[in-house]
Amino acid sequence: MATHAGRSLLCLGRIRASGLGLQGPLSRVTYATHVSTRSSSGKTGLPTRGGGKLGRRPKRAPGDPRTEKMPVDQDWTAVYPAAAPFRPGSVPLPVRMGYPVKRGVPPEKKGNLELIKIPNFLHLTPAAIRKHCEALKAFCTEWPSALDTDAKCDEHFPVKTESTDYVSAGPSVRNPAARVVRLKVKLSCLNLDDHAFKKMLKLVGERYCRDTDTLTITADRCPLRQQNHDHATYLLTVLYHESWKTEPWEAQKSVADMEEYSWEDSPSQRNLVDTLVRAEGEEVREQLLGRREVHEYKDSVTRLKNEGESERTVMLYKEAVKKVLDL
Amino acid sequence: MSSTVVLRTYKVPRALGGCSGNKKCHVIRSRRPLASSTFFHSATTFLSKPSLITVTEEPDTLFQKVSLLVKGHDKSVLDSYELFATMAAKELGITISKVCDLPKDTERFTLLKSVHIFKNHRVQYEMRTHYRFVELSHLTGSTAQVYLEYVQRNLPEGVAMEVTKIAMEKVPDHILKPMWEEDPIDKKISQ
Repeated sequence: MATHAGRSLLCLGRIRASGLGLQGPLSRVTYATHVSTRSSSGKTGLPTRGGGKLGRRPKRAPGDPRTEKMPVDQDWTAVYPAAAPFRPGSVPLPVRMGYPVKRGVPPEKKGNLELIKIPNFLHLTPAAIRKHCEALKAFCTEWPSALDTDAKCDEHFPVKTESTDYVSAGPSVRNPAARVVRLKVKLSCLNLDDHAFKKMLKLVGERYCRDTDTLTITADRCPLRQQNHDHATYLLTVLYHESWKTEPWEAQKSVADMEEYSWEDSPSQRNLVDTLVRAEGEEVREQLLGRREVHEYKDSVTRLKNEGESERTVMLYKEAVKKVLDL
Repeated sequence: MSSTVVLRTYKVPRALGGCSGNKKCHVIRSRRPLASSTFFHSATTFLSKPSLITVTEEPDTLFQKVSLLVKGHDKSVLDSYELFATMAAKELGITISKVCDLPKDTERFTLLKSVHIFKNHRVQYEMRTHYRFVELSHLTGSTAQVYLEYVQRNLPEGVAMEVTKIAMEKVPDHILKPMWEEDPIDKKISQ
Protein backbone atom coordinates (compact mmCIF):
# COMPACT_ATOMS: atom_id res chain seq x y z
CA MET A 1 0.00 0.00 0.00
CA ALA A 2 2.81 2.34 0.82
CA THR A 3 4.34 1.92 -2.61
CA HIS A 4 1.05 2.55 -4.41
CA ALA A 5 0.59 5.79 -2.54
CA GLY A 6 4.23 6.69 -2.97
CA ARG A 7 4.21 6.11 -6.67
CA SER A 8 1.04 8.03 -7.23
CA LEU A 9 2.34 11.00 -5.21
CA LEU A 10 5.56 10.99 -7.18
CA CYS A 11 3.66 11.04 -10.45
CA LEU A 12 1.48 13.85 -9.22
CA GLY A 13 4.48 15.89 -8.18
CA ARG A 14 6.15 15.49 -11.51
CA ILE A 15 3.06 16.29 -13.50
CA ARG A 16 2.75 19.58 -11.66
CA ALA A 17 6.39 20.43 -12.31
CA SER A 18 6.13 19.62 -15.98
CA GLY A 19 3.10 21.90 -16.14
CA LEU A 20 5.41 24.74 -14.99
CA GLY A 21 7.70 23.89 -17.89
CA LEU A 22 10.83 23.14 -15.85
CA GLN A 23 12.05 19.85 -17.35
CA GLY A 24 13.20 18.78 -20.77
CA PRO A 25 11.73 16.05 -22.87
CA LEU A 26 13.38 13.26 -20.87
CA SER A 27 11.26 13.53 -17.75
CA ARG A 28 8.13 13.65 -19.81
CA VAL A 29 9.19 10.46 -21.58
CA THR A 30 9.73 8.57 -18.30
CA TYR A 31 6.46 9.70 -16.80
CA ALA A 32 4.37 9.13 -19.90
CA THR A 33 4.35 5.40 -19.10
CA HIS A 34 3.66 6.03 -15.45
CA VAL A 35 0.78 8.33 -16.24
CA SER A 36 -0.75 5.79 -18.61
CA THR A 37 -0.66 2.96 -16.04
CA ARG A 38 -2.01 5.19 -13.31
CA SER A 39 -4.90 6.47 -15.42
CA SER A 40 -5.93 2.93 -16.32
CA SER A 41 -6.42 2.08 -12.64
CA GLY A 42 -9.00 4.80 -12.30
CA LYS A 43 -7.36 7.51 -10.20
CA THR A 44 -7.27 11.03 -11.64
CA GLY A 45 -4.42 13.51 -11.32
CA LEU A 46 -5.90 15.71 -8.60
CA PRO A 47 -4.14 15.63 -5.19
CA THR A 48 -6.17 13.86 -2.55
CA ARG A 49 -4.17 14.63 0.58
CA GLY A 50 -5.77 15.30 3.91
CA GLY A 51 -9.30 16.67 3.62
CA GLY A 52 -11.83 16.39 0.89
CA LYS A 53 -12.85 13.12 -0.55
CA LEU A 54 -10.61 10.33 0.72
CA GLY A 55 -10.47 8.60 -2.68
CA ARG A 56 -13.27 6.92 -4.51
CA ARG A 57 -11.98 3.39 -3.89
CA PRO A 58 -12.23 2.15 -0.30
CA LYS A 59 -8.96 0.89 1.15
CA ARG A 60 -8.49 -2.85 0.85
CA ALA A 61 -8.53 -4.57 4.23
CA PRO A 62 -5.16 -6.12 5.09
CA GLY A 63 -5.29 -9.87 4.75
CA ASP A 64 -3.98 -12.50 7.11
CA PRO A 65 -0.26 -12.30 7.76
CA ARG A 66 1.86 -14.78 5.90
CA THR A 67 2.62 -16.63 9.12
CA GLU A 68 -0.86 -18.18 9.13
CA LYS A 69 -0.24 -19.89 5.81
CA MET A 70 3.34 -21.07 6.45
CA PRO A 71 3.75 -24.86 6.52
CA VAL A 72 5.83 -26.28 9.35
CA ASP A 73 8.36 -27.93 7.06
CA GLN A 74 8.90 -24.94 4.79
CA ASP A 75 12.27 -23.85 3.46
CA TRP A 76 13.20 -20.99 5.81
CA THR A 77 16.13 -19.97 3.61
CA ALA A 78 13.57 -18.83 1.04
CA VAL A 79 11.75 -16.61 3.54
CA TYR A 80 14.96 -14.87 4.69
CA PRO A 81 17.58 -15.42 1.99
CA ALA A 82 19.58 -12.31 2.88
CA ALA A 83 19.93 -9.89 5.76
CA ALA A 84 16.63 -8.06 6.15
CA PRO A 85 14.86 -6.26 8.99
CA PHE A 86 12.44 -8.15 11.15
CA ARG A 87 9.00 -8.56 9.58
CA PRO A 88 6.35 -9.65 12.09
CA GLY A 89 4.21 -10.97 9.27
CA SER A 90 6.97 -13.27 8.00
CA VAL A 91 8.32 -14.70 11.25
CA PRO A 92 5.94 -17.31 12.71
CA LEU A 93 7.27 -17.01 16.26
CA PRO A 94 5.38 -15.47 19.21
CA VAL A 95 8.25 -13.12 20.07
CA ARG A 96 7.84 -10.40 22.65
CA MET A 97 10.41 -7.68 23.25
CA GLY A 98 10.59 -4.55 25.31
CA TYR A 99 10.33 -3.39 28.87
CA PRO A 100 6.88 -4.16 30.32
CA VAL A 101 4.72 -1.44 31.82
CA LYS A 102 3.45 -1.98 35.35
CA ARG A 103 1.44 -5.19 35.62
CA GLY A 104 2.09 -5.87 31.97
CA VAL A 105 4.06 -8.08 29.65
CA PRO A 106 6.67 -7.17 27.04
CA PRO A 107 4.91 -5.83 23.95
CA GLU A 108 4.04 -8.19 21.09
CA LYS A 109 5.91 -8.35 17.81
CA LYS A 110 3.36 -6.43 15.71
CA GLY A 111 4.64 -2.87 15.33
CA ASN A 112 7.52 -3.47 17.73
CA LEU A 113 10.42 -1.15 16.99
CA GLU A 114 12.82 -2.92 19.33
CA LEU A 115 12.66 -6.04 17.21
CA ILE A 116 13.35 -4.07 14.06
CA LYS A 117 16.25 -2.12 15.61
CA ILE A 118 18.29 -5.08 16.79
CA PRO A 119 20.28 -6.97 14.12
CA ASN A 120 18.68 -10.35 13.49
CA PHE A 121 20.25 -13.56 12.29
CA LEU A 122 17.15 -14.98 10.64
CA HIS A 123 19.05 -15.30 7.37
CA LEU A 124 21.85 -17.28 9.05
CA THR A 125 20.08 -20.32 10.43
CA PRO A 126 22.10 -23.56 10.54
CA ALA A 127 20.36 -24.76 7.38
CA ALA A 128 21.34 -21.56 5.55
CA ILE A 129 24.94 -21.76 6.81
CA ARG A 130 25.18 -25.35 5.57
CA LYS A 131 23.90 -24.33 2.16
CA HIS A 132 26.35 -21.44 1.92
CA CYS A 133 29.30 -23.57 3.01
CA GLU A 134 28.39 -26.26 0.48
CA ALA A 135 28.71 -23.66 -2.25
CA LEU A 136 31.90 -22.19 -0.76
CA LYS A 137 33.71 -25.50 -0.24
CA ALA A 138 34.75 -25.58 -3.87
CA PHE A 139 36.95 -22.52 -3.34
CA CYS A 140 38.78 -23.84 -0.27
CA THR A 141 42.04 -25.76 -0.28
CA GLU A 142 43.27 -28.43 2.09
CA TRP A 143 45.94 -27.87 4.71
CA PRO A 144 49.02 -30.05 3.97
CA SER A 145 48.71 -33.09 6.19
CA ALA A 146 52.45 -33.26 6.90
CA LEU A 147 52.31 -30.02 8.94
CA ASP A 148 49.94 -31.12 11.64
CA THR A 149 51.89 -29.89 14.69
CA ASP A 150 53.25 -26.44 15.49
CA ALA A 151 56.74 -27.86 15.96
CA LYS A 152 56.83 -29.13 12.37
CA CYS A 153 55.52 -25.81 11.09
CA ASP A 154 58.28 -23.97 12.98
CA GLU A 155 60.91 -26.33 11.64
CA HIS A 156 60.02 -25.94 7.97
CA PHE A 157 58.63 -22.39 8.00
CA PRO A 158 60.45 -20.47 10.72
CA VAL A 159 59.67 -16.94 9.51
CA LYS A 160 56.28 -15.67 10.76
CA THR A 161 54.65 -12.56 9.31
CA GLU A 162 51.86 -11.02 11.37
CA SER A 163 49.42 -8.45 10.02
CA THR A 164 46.01 -7.17 11.10
CA ASP A 165 42.87 -6.32 9.10
CA TYR A 166 40.18 -4.03 10.49
CA VAL A 167 36.48 -4.17 9.54
CA SER A 168 34.13 -1.52 10.84
CA ALA A 169 31.39 0.77 9.65
CA GLY A 170 32.35 4.36 9.15
CA PRO A 171 32.94 7.02 6.55
CA SER A 172 35.98 5.12 5.24
CA VAL A 173 36.72 1.45 4.71
CA ARG A 174 40.47 1.93 5.23
CA ASN A 175 42.29 1.83 8.54
CA PRO A 176 45.87 3.19 8.64
CA ALA A 177 46.81 0.70 11.37
CA ALA A 178 46.40 -2.12 8.86
CA ARG A 179 49.75 -1.33 7.21
CA VAL A 180 51.80 -2.57 10.20
CA VAL A 181 53.71 -5.82 9.59
CA ARG A 182 55.58 -7.77 12.29
CA LEU A 183 58.18 -10.27 11.21
CA LYS A 184 59.17 -12.88 13.83
CA VAL A 185 61.99 -15.35 13.42
CA LYS A 186 63.90 -17.63 15.79
CA LEU A 187 67.62 -16.90 15.61
CA SER A 188 68.42 -20.58 16.11
CA CYS A 189 66.92 -21.24 12.65
CA LEU A 190 69.30 -18.84 10.94
CA ASN A 191 72.83 -19.82 9.94
CA LEU A 192 74.80 -17.76 12.50
CA ASP A 193 78.09 -18.56 14.18
CA ASP A 194 79.08 -17.37 17.66
CA HIS A 195 80.46 -13.97 16.67
CA ALA A 196 77.56 -13.35 14.24
CA PHE A 197 75.02 -14.22 16.93
CA LYS A 198 76.54 -11.80 19.45
CA LYS A 199 76.84 -9.05 16.85
CA MET A 200 73.23 -9.61 15.81
CA LEU A 201 72.09 -9.22 19.41
CA LYS A 202 73.98 -5.96 19.69
CA LEU A 203 72.51 -4.70 16.40
CA VAL A 204 68.88 -5.44 17.20
CA GLY A 205 68.90 -4.49 20.87
CA GLU A 206 65.40 -4.58 22.36
CA ARG A 207 63.81 -6.42 19.43
CA TYR A 208 65.18 -9.77 20.64
CA CYS A 209 63.53 -11.75 23.41
CA ARG A 210 65.92 -14.09 25.24
CA ASP A 211 63.26 -16.35 26.72
CA THR A 212 61.70 -17.32 23.39
CA ASP A 213 64.80 -16.72 21.23
CA THR A 214 62.64 -14.63 18.87
CA LEU A 215 63.64 -11.59 16.87
CA THR A 216 60.66 -9.30 16.12
CA ILE A 217 60.98 -6.67 13.40
CA THR A 218 58.04 -4.24 13.26
CA ALA A 219 57.74 -2.31 10.00
CA ASP A 220 55.25 0.53 9.74
CA ARG A 221 57.09 3.30 7.97
CA CYS A 222 55.63 2.60 4.51
CA PRO A 223 52.03 3.38 3.57
CA LEU A 224 51.18 -0.08 2.20
CA ARG A 225 51.35 -3.49 3.82
CA GLN A 226 53.24 -5.10 0.96
CA GLN A 227 55.86 -2.38 1.13
CA ASN A 228 56.25 -2.87 4.86
CA HIS A 229 56.62 -6.61 4.38
CA ASP A 230 59.37 -6.06 1.82
CA HIS A 231 61.07 -3.53 4.10
CA ALA A 232 61.04 -5.98 7.02
CA THR A 233 62.56 -8.73 4.84
CA TYR A 234 65.19 -6.27 3.65
CA LEU A 235 66.05 -5.36 7.27
CA LEU A 236 66.43 -9.03 8.15
CA THR A 237 68.75 -9.59 5.19
CA VAL A 238 70.90 -6.59 6.07
CA LEU A 239 71.13 -7.60 9.76
CA TYR A 240 72.15 -11.12 8.81
CA HIS A 241 74.90 -10.11 6.43
CA GLU A 242 76.22 -7.31 8.62
CA SER A 243 76.48 -9.62 11.61
CA TRP A 244 78.79 -11.95 9.68
CA LYS A 245 81.14 -9.07 8.86
CA THR A 246 84.04 -8.40 11.26
CA GLU A 247 84.99 -4.74 11.43
CA PRO A 248 88.51 -3.70 12.52
CA TRP A 249 87.22 -1.75 15.52
CA GLU A 250 85.58 -4.89 16.93
CA ALA A 251 89.02 -5.93 18.15
CA GLN A 252 88.72 -3.19 20.79
CA LYS A 253 85.92 -5.07 22.55
CA SER A 254 86.48 -4.71 26.28
CA VAL A 255 85.27 -6.61 29.33
CA ALA A 256 82.39 -4.13 29.75
CA ASP A 257 81.09 -5.00 26.22
CA MET A 258 80.97 -8.74 26.85
CA GLU A 259 77.47 -10.23 26.89
CA GLU A 260 78.31 -12.96 29.39
CA TYR A 261 80.61 -13.12 32.37
CA SER A 262 83.69 -15.31 31.90
CA TRP A 263 85.78 -16.28 34.94
CA GLU A 264 89.13 -16.48 33.12
CA ASP A 265 91.25 -13.36 33.70
CA SER A 266 88.69 -11.89 36.03
CA PRO A 267 89.33 -10.23 39.42
CA SER A 268 87.54 -13.19 41.05
CA GLN A 269 90.08 -15.68 39.66
CA ARG A 270 93.00 -13.48 40.65
CA ASN A 271 91.67 -13.06 44.18
CA LEU A 272 91.06 -16.78 44.65
CA VAL A 273 94.48 -17.74 43.31
CA ASP A 274 96.21 -15.16 45.51
CA THR A 275 94.28 -16.34 48.59
CA LEU A 276 95.09 -20.01 48.02
CA VAL A 277 98.75 -19.28 47.23
CA ARG A 278 99.02 -17.27 50.46
CA ALA A 279 97.45 -20.16 52.36
CA GLU A 280 99.38 -23.03 50.83
CA GLY A 281 102.52 -21.58 49.36
CA GLU A 282 103.82 -20.31 46.04
CA GLU A 283 104.42 -23.69 44.37
CA VAL A 284 100.73 -24.71 44.04
CA ARG A 285 99.84 -21.81 41.69
CA GLU A 286 99.95 -23.91 38.50
CA GLN A 287 97.96 -26.82 40.01
CA LEU A 288 95.21 -24.64 41.40
CA LEU A 289 93.23 -24.36 38.22
CA GLY A 290 93.09 -28.15 37.89
CA ARG A 291 91.42 -28.68 41.25
CA ARG A 292 87.78 -29.75 41.43
CA GLU A 293 86.86 -27.23 44.15
CA VAL A 294 88.27 -24.40 42.10
CA HIS A 295 86.17 -25.54 39.16
CA GLU A 296 83.04 -25.63 41.31
CA TYR A 297 83.81 -22.17 42.60
CA LYS A 298 84.25 -20.97 39.02
CA ASP A 299 80.89 -22.49 37.98
CA SER A 300 79.04 -20.97 40.93
CA VAL A 301 80.46 -17.49 40.36
CA THR A 302 79.68 -17.67 36.63
CA ARG A 303 76.13 -18.79 37.39
CA LEU A 304 75.66 -15.99 39.92
CA LYS A 305 76.80 -13.34 37.48
CA ASN A 306 74.93 -14.67 34.41
CA GLU A 307 71.68 -15.92 35.88
CA GLY A 308 71.36 -13.38 38.64
CA GLU A 309 70.89 -13.86 42.37
CA SER A 310 68.44 -16.46 43.49
CA GLU A 311 68.27 -18.84 46.45
CA ARG A 312 69.71 -21.67 44.44
CA THR A 313 72.68 -19.79 42.99
CA VAL A 314 73.61 -18.21 46.34
CA MET A 315 73.45 -21.61 48.08
CA LEU A 316 75.67 -23.17 45.42
CA TYR A 317 78.16 -20.31 45.84
CA LYS A 318 78.17 -20.84 49.60
CA GLU A 319 78.85 -24.58 49.18
CA ALA A 320 81.61 -23.92 46.67
CA VAL A 321 83.31 -21.33 48.93
CA LYS A 322 83.18 -23.70 51.90
CA LYS A 323 84.79 -26.46 49.86
CA VAL A 324 87.52 -24.27 48.37
CA LEU A 325 88.55 -22.76 51.72
CA ASP A 326 88.12 -26.08 53.62
CA LEU A 327 85.65 -24.62 56.11
CA MET B 1 10.98 -14.69 -4.03
CA SER B 2 7.34 -14.68 -5.15
CA SER B 3 6.38 -11.81 -7.40
CA THR B 4 2.76 -11.97 -6.30
CA VAL B 5 3.52 -10.40 -2.90
CA VAL B 6 3.02 -6.70 -3.55
CA LEU B 7 2.22 -5.77 0.06
CA ARG B 8 5.28 -4.51 1.93
CA THR B 9 5.30 -3.77 5.60
CA TYR B 10 8.05 -1.14 5.70
CA LYS B 11 8.05 2.34 4.19
CA VAL B 12 9.83 2.94 0.91
CA PRO B 13 13.23 4.41 1.83
CA ARG B 14 13.99 7.78 0.31
CA ALA B 15 16.89 6.47 -1.78
CA LEU B 16 14.77 3.80 -3.42
CA GLY B 17 11.78 5.89 -4.42
CA GLY B 18 11.92 4.77 -8.03
CA CYS B 19 11.86 1.06 -7.24
CA SER B 20 9.28 -0.94 -9.11
CA GLY B 21 6.64 -2.83 -7.20
CA ASN B 22 7.58 -6.44 -7.70
CA LYS B 23 11.34 -6.31 -7.11
CA LYS B 24 12.56 -6.92 -3.58
CA CYS B 25 14.30 -3.82 -2.20
CA HIS B 26 17.43 -4.37 -0.11
CA VAL B 27 18.50 -1.70 2.35
CA ILE B 28 22.18 -1.26 1.56
CA ARG B 29 24.43 -0.81 4.56
CA SER B 30 28.06 0.36 4.66
CA ARG B 31 28.99 -0.66 1.13
CA ARG B 32 28.75 -4.40 1.73
CA PRO B 33 26.59 -5.90 -1.01
CA LEU B 34 24.58 -8.90 0.05
CA ALA B 35 26.42 -11.71 -1.60
CA SER B 36 24.79 -14.44 0.45
CA SER B 37 21.54 -14.21 -1.51
CA THR B 38 23.29 -14.16 -4.88
CA PHE B 39 25.45 -17.07 -3.76
CA PHE B 40 22.55 -19.16 -2.63
CA HIS B 41 20.10 -18.45 -5.40
CA SER B 42 22.55 -18.70 -8.24
CA ALA B 43 24.47 -21.59 -6.66
CA THR B 44 23.03 -24.06 -9.11
CA THR B 45 23.81 -21.91 -12.14
CA PHE B 46 27.31 -21.08 -10.87
CA LEU B 47 28.31 -24.64 -10.12
CA SER B 48 27.17 -25.77 -13.54
CA LYS B 49 29.72 -23.33 -15.04
CA PRO B 50 33.15 -24.74 -14.13
CA SER B 51 35.02 -21.59 -15.25
CA LEU B 52 34.40 -19.78 -11.93
CA ILE B 53 37.03 -21.80 -10.06
CA THR B 54 40.55 -21.18 -11.34
CA VAL B 55 43.50 -23.25 -10.14
CA THR B 56 46.87 -21.49 -10.47
CA GLU B 57 50.40 -22.74 -9.93
CA GLU B 58 51.16 -19.95 -7.48
CA PRO B 59 51.91 -21.47 -4.04
CA ASP B 60 49.22 -20.86 -1.43
CA THR B 61 50.15 -18.84 1.66
CA LEU B 62 49.95 -20.86 4.87
CA PHE B 63 48.44 -19.25 7.94
CA GLN B 64 49.44 -20.76 11.23
CA LYS B 65 46.82 -18.75 13.09
CA VAL B 66 43.92 -16.51 12.13
CA SER B 67 42.32 -14.80 15.09
CA LEU B 68 39.10 -12.81 15.01
CA LEU B 69 38.32 -10.23 17.65
CA VAL B 70 34.70 -9.10 17.36
CA LYS B 71 33.58 -5.96 19.18
CA GLY B 72 30.04 -4.81 19.79
CA HIS B 73 27.73 -3.04 22.20
CA ASP B 74 25.27 -5.91 22.60
CA LYS B 75 26.37 -9.23 24.06
CA SER B 76 23.52 -11.26 22.59
CA VAL B 77 24.39 -10.12 19.06
CA LEU B 78 27.97 -11.28 19.66
CA ASP B 79 26.67 -14.61 20.98
CA SER B 80 24.70 -15.21 17.81
CA TYR B 81 27.61 -14.12 15.66
CA GLU B 82 29.96 -16.49 17.50
CA LEU B 83 27.54 -19.34 16.82
CA PHE B 84 27.47 -18.43 13.14
CA ALA B 85 31.27 -18.06 12.84
CA THR B 86 32.06 -21.31 14.66
CA MET B 87 29.47 -23.23 12.66
CA ALA B 88 30.78 -21.84 9.39
CA ALA B 89 34.34 -22.83 10.38
CA LYS B 90 33.21 -26.37 11.24
CA GLU B 91 31.34 -26.75 7.97
CA LEU B 92 34.36 -25.60 5.97
CA GLY B 93 36.63 -27.97 7.91
CA ILE B 94 38.68 -25.34 9.76
CA THR B 95 40.12 -26.22 13.20
CA ILE B 96 38.98 -23.85 15.93
CA SER B 97 41.63 -23.68 18.65
CA LYS B 98 40.06 -21.14 20.99
CA VAL B 99 36.78 -19.31 21.54
CA CYS B 100 36.62 -17.01 24.53
CA ASP B 101 34.86 -14.03 25.96
CA LEU B 102 37.10 -11.12 26.88
CA PRO B 103 36.07 -8.76 29.70
CA LYS B 104 34.09 -5.74 28.55
CA ASP B 105 35.38 -2.16 28.42
CA THR B 106 33.23 0.63 29.83
CA GLU B 107 33.80 4.24 28.95
CA ARG B 108 32.00 6.58 31.33
CA PHE B 109 31.74 10.32 31.35
CA THR B 110 29.89 12.93 33.35
CA LEU B 111 28.28 15.96 31.75
CA LEU B 112 26.33 18.92 33.04
CA LYS B 113 22.61 18.28 32.88
CA SER B 114 21.64 21.84 32.12
CA VAL B 115 22.63 24.08 29.27
CA HIS B 116 23.47 26.97 31.60
CA ILE B 117 24.68 26.92 35.26
CA PHE B 118 23.41 24.25 37.72
CA LYS B 119 26.83 22.77 38.27
CA ASN B 120 25.57 20.41 40.96
CA HIS B 121 23.26 18.55 38.60
CA ARG B 122 25.06 16.25 36.28
CA VAL B 123 24.19 13.34 34.07
CA GLN B 124 26.40 10.29 33.50
CA TYR B 125 26.69 8.22 30.33
CA GLU B 126 28.57 5.05 29.64
CA MET B 127 29.46 3.05 26.56
CA ARG B 128 30.06 -0.67 26.94
CA THR B 129 32.12 -2.57 24.41
CA HIS B 130 31.88 -6.36 24.58
CA TYR B 131 34.45 -8.60 22.94
CA ARG B 132 34.51 -12.11 21.53
CA PHE B 133 37.70 -13.89 20.48
CA VAL B 134 37.82 -16.78 18.01
CA GLU B 135 41.12 -18.36 17.05
CA LEU B 136 41.47 -20.65 14.06
CA SER B 137 44.60 -22.54 13.20
CA HIS B 138 46.17 -24.16 10.17
CA LEU B 139 44.43 -22.44 7.27
CA THR B 140 45.58 -22.10 3.70
CA GLY B 141 45.43 -18.75 1.94
CA SER B 142 42.43 -19.67 -0.22
CA THR B 143 40.45 -21.10 2.70
CA ALA B 144 41.24 -18.05 4.82
CA GLN B 145 40.15 -15.71 2.06
CA VAL B 146 36.88 -17.60 1.53
CA TYR B 147 36.07 -17.88 5.24
CA LEU B 148 36.97 -14.28 6.08
CA GLU B 149 35.00 -12.88 3.19
CA TYR B 150 31.95 -14.97 4.14
CA VAL B 151 32.16 -14.02 7.79
CA GLN B 152 32.83 -10.32 7.12
CA ARG B 153 29.99 -9.95 4.63
CA ASN B 154 27.61 -11.26 7.26
CA LEU B 155 28.91 -9.00 10.02
CA PRO B 156 25.86 -7.38 11.64
CA GLU B 157 25.45 -3.63 11.89
CA GLY B 158 27.12 -2.07 14.91
CA VAL B 159 29.76 -4.78 15.19
CA ALA B 160 33.44 -4.31 14.33
CA MET B 161 36.08 -6.94 13.70
CA GLU B 162 39.87 -7.18 13.86
CA VAL B 163 41.51 -10.08 12.07
CA THR B 164 45.13 -10.95 12.93
CA LYS B 165 46.80 -13.33 10.52
CA ILE B 166 50.14 -15.06 11.17
CA ALA B 167 51.55 -16.34 7.89
CA MET B 168 54.40 -18.85 7.75
CA GLU B 169 57.24 -18.47 5.29
CA LYS B 170 60.50 -20.24 4.60
CA VAL B 171 63.81 -18.52 5.34
CA PRO B 172 64.55 -16.41 2.23
CA ASP B 173 67.25 -17.78 -0.07
CA HIS B 174 69.56 -14.83 0.37
CA ILE B 175 69.79 -15.40 4.13
CA LEU B 176 70.89 -19.02 3.97
CA LYS B 177 74.60 -18.18 3.70
CA PRO B 178 76.53 -14.99 4.36
CA MET B 179 77.46 -13.28 1.11
CA TRP B 180 81.00 -12.57 2.28
CA GLU B 181 82.09 -16.14 1.54
CA GLU B 182 81.46 -15.76 -2.18
CA ASP B 183 82.73 -12.18 -2.41
CA PRO B 184 85.79 -11.81 -0.18
CA ILE B 185 86.67 -8.60 -2.07
CA ASP B 186 83.70 -6.80 -0.48
CA LYS B 187 84.89 -7.88 2.93
CA LYS B 188 88.36 -6.47 2.29
CA ILE B 189 86.88 -3.19 1.07
CA SER B 190 84.76 -2.90 4.23
CA GLN B 191 87.82 -3.52 6.37
